[in-house]
Amino acid sequence: MNAIIKVEHLSKTFEITQSQKGWSGALRGLIKPLKKKIAAVKEVSFELKPGELVGYLGPNGAGKSTSLKMLTGLLVPTSGVVQVNGLVPWRDRTKYVASIGAVFGQRTTLWWDLPVQESFDLIQYMYRIPDKRYRHNMDLFRDILGLDPFINTPVRSLSLGQRMRADLCAALLHDPKLLFLDEPTIGLDVVAKDKIRQFIKHVNEERKTTIILTTHDLQDVEKLCERVIIIDHGQLLFDGTLEALNNRFGGQRTLQVDFAETYPDVSIEGAGLISHEGLQATYQFDRDILSASDLISRLSNRYKISDLSVREPAIEDTIRRIYVDKLLEN
Amino acid sequence: MLRRLFTTYLKFIQIQILSQIQYPFSFLFDVFTNGISLLIFFLSLSLVLQRFDNVGGWRLGEIAFLWGTAEIAFGLMDMIFSGFDPDSFSVMVRQGTLDQMLLRPANITIQIFGSRFILRRLGRIAEGLIIFTISQVLSPIVWTLPRLLFYPVVIFSQILFFGGLFIAGSTITFWTIERIEAVNILTYGGNEMISYPMHIYPDWLIKFFTYLIPLIFINYYPALFFLGKPDPFGMPAFAPFLAPLAGLGVFLASLWFWKFGLRYYQGTGS
Amino acid sequence: MRLFLKILRLSFRRQLTYRTATLAGLVTNLFFGVLRASVLIALFNAQPSVNGLTVKGAVTFAGLTQGVIAYLSIFGWWDIMQSIEKGSIGADLLKPMNFFTYWLAQDIGRAAAQFVTRGLVLMIAFGFLFQITLPASPAQWLAFAFALILSGLVSFAWRFIINLAAFWSPNAIGFGRFAFSLTWIFSGFAMPLRLFPDWFQQFCAFTPFPAMINTVIEIFLGTLTPPETLQALLLQAAWFVGLSILSQFILKAGIRRLVIQGG
Repeated sequence: MNAIIKVEHLSKTFEITQSQKGWSGALRGLIKPLKKKIAAVKEVSFELKPGELVGYLGPNGAGKSTSLKMLTGLLVPTSGVVQVNGLVPWRDRTKYVASIGAVFGQRTTLWWDLPVQESFDLIQYMYRIPDKRYRHNMDLFRDILGLDPFINTPVRSLSLGQRMRADLCAALLHDPKLLFLDEPTIGLDVVAKDKIRQFIKHVNEERKTTIILTTHDLQDVEKLCERVIIIDHGQLLFDGTLEALNNRFGGQRTLQVDFAETYPDVSIEGAGLISHEGLQATYQFDRDILSASDLISRLSNRYKISDLSVREPAIEDTIRRIYVDKLLEN
Repeated sequence: MLRRLFTTYLKFIQIQILSQIQYPFSFLFDVFTNGISLLIFFLSLSLVLQRFDNVGGWRLGEIAFLWGTAEIAFGLMDMIFSGFDPDSFSVMVRQGTLDQMLLRPANITIQIFGSRFILRRLGRIAEGLIIFTISQVLSPIVWTLPRLLFYPVVIFSQILFFGGLFIAGSTITFWTIERIEAVNILTYGGNEMISYPMHIYPDWLIKFFTYLIPLIFINYYPALFFLGKPDPFGMPAFAPFLAPLAGLGVFLASLWFWKFGLRYYQGTGS
Repeated sequence: MRLFLKILRLSFRRQLTYRTATLAGLVTNLFFGVLRASVLIALFNAQPSVNGLTVKGAVTFAGLTQGVIAYLSIFGWWDIMQSIEKGSIGADLLKPMNFFTYWLAQDIGRAAAQFVTRGLVLMIAFGFLFQITLPASPAQWLAFAFALILSGLVSFAWRFIINLAAFWSPNAIGFGRFAFSLTWIFSGFAMPLRLFPDWFQQFCAFTPFPAMINTVIEIFLGTLTPPETLQALLLQAAWFVGLSILSQFILKAGIRRLVIQGG
């Protein structure tokens, strides 16, 4: 299938003015500002197929929002190519933004003083959504997002979770092929987060909407994304499946064993013993050196085992290690 | 296309207006205090004039004509161009509201015009009308047909002139992020300046606001025509009718600067 | 008292960090000063002196009033209102310091910084642009200094009261703007009170507004005799004490309202 998004060698360099010290500095700044060049995004390339749900990750200040701004047509790159559905985002802004949807968790795109329903009606007008299509989508989203209880409430009096649901609905009313979600679960409680995630999954699976999700909540990633793209210092660090990420950079797996009898020494070659208390012991092992089944068979050859469980390294740990240890820097 | 722009604008404005008159009492109080607080300065002048009789040869009624006209136009401008008020526009840029508008499939300039419509400015317009009425009581103008036809043109020119300055002031914030208070010199300062007969100012100031920024042509010269006063500067006889040219010129130049600034904001301007 | 001075110093230093804003504000104040001076010069064109005021004095008046705009926050000051609206008032009330003195310390620090960066600098610039009058004797300078400090205090008490309106209405800013605009005419900010009709001056004398600006100007221009000067200073002090006491009653009522409504 043809790619819906094609990004090639995307780069953005900013020129920033530095503030200068003291009163004379303020004056000098007015006359001859001190300029400095900063590369926010460097040579980023990737492609997205229709219907993909990709996590776009990176620590704060990694160049995430700059690249998102270029993908949504808000910013023109210094060099490189972006094509979405055959359109260049920044070239024909109104035509392009009519074909995408965007939700920013921190801010609402709805009209603050308007009741939710009237905001939607205005969106219908702006996006020129045919009546039939609009009514159909409206009915559908009211149902799955549970909008009815607050559909006539002004946006300013909605709770964060309600507002997010309304924003999601607003972003999808015009059937965009591509949806940008920026921190869609930020600040929500566990139940609300779950609802939003289910809805995102639904939209991706049922409507085949391509979704780019940026988030700091790695639970979102774990529950929704098959593929992740990680960028840091403006560069693409990783692009692949979540599994591949874990395989390559995941920390050690752990095995917890309940023995049937007490043994004085339960250490075993190939795995590190972390704890051993009474009948229970915990091991840590590396998937590259030893598979789980090998370790279990080694153990069961030597000891009587009543129960065991393998725990995969948490995505949080993996990502943290990538951010902190710069695992991907050459 | 043009019709759609216009309906989009009306839809946005309607939202703004409805939300502002949601609490009618509080709204009317705001309109009232807005008007009174501005009227205070005219009131001060008229009380003080009891001891002086004139300002630079102009009597209270004649100054009231200048003052009232400037206030009506500026009030209208401040209402229509609320979205481009440099103070609030810089906040819009910083808070990302502008980015959100850019994500909507509608003309960005129209969206900004529609994003704010401060109805409270009616207070200033009312204040201007009161002062204008005072001028007609104290120094009535003979409203010949040319004068009657030209007056709305003057108001319109002033709206374009100061609206253009608002747009230019907002555009500058693309580079500076923070609001630039010096722009206020041209907008609020300009409004204050044209409320008095401009020949009272120092020579260098008059020259600046004649040749560099054509402020003198939008109120002072038209007033010479309406009041039938001689021109102390000896400009050509058509000088009073340059107002629309000055207004349109500043407006169009600002619009061009705005388009340039928008391109810079999106990363191609430089 | 040490806490008071510490808050004052912090507030002073914070003001000094807004350099570009200060510079821009200074230029704006100066520009309007030139406009206002021009109007006054045009007024005095035919008469050399009106009610004890000469054109030189009037121009000095324009500089002085433009110079104290930032010092007295003449066009608006909403810090307390904002803290009430945001709800941070709760934290302020928990501070181990009287609410009034806490804000007073902050305001003195702010005002002192504004006096130096915008008042003093503007007056010097004005002196280059126009012919201005200066106090003639050390005693007059001293009286001026006292009057200036007292005007800051009276103005603070007035602004403090205006801000408390936020306890009663979420849209108190409209009322506040109105209250501020009263200052513009009755304090002698828009035009020197001396130039107004007598009945108007007599009315103003019953209000606290002349104590905010007019007294400072009269003393600076030397239009008051020594006994009149002393009397004016005492009146300023009296207004500060009176408004401060009044503000405490209003504050108490406001807090009671806040507590009842659960903030």
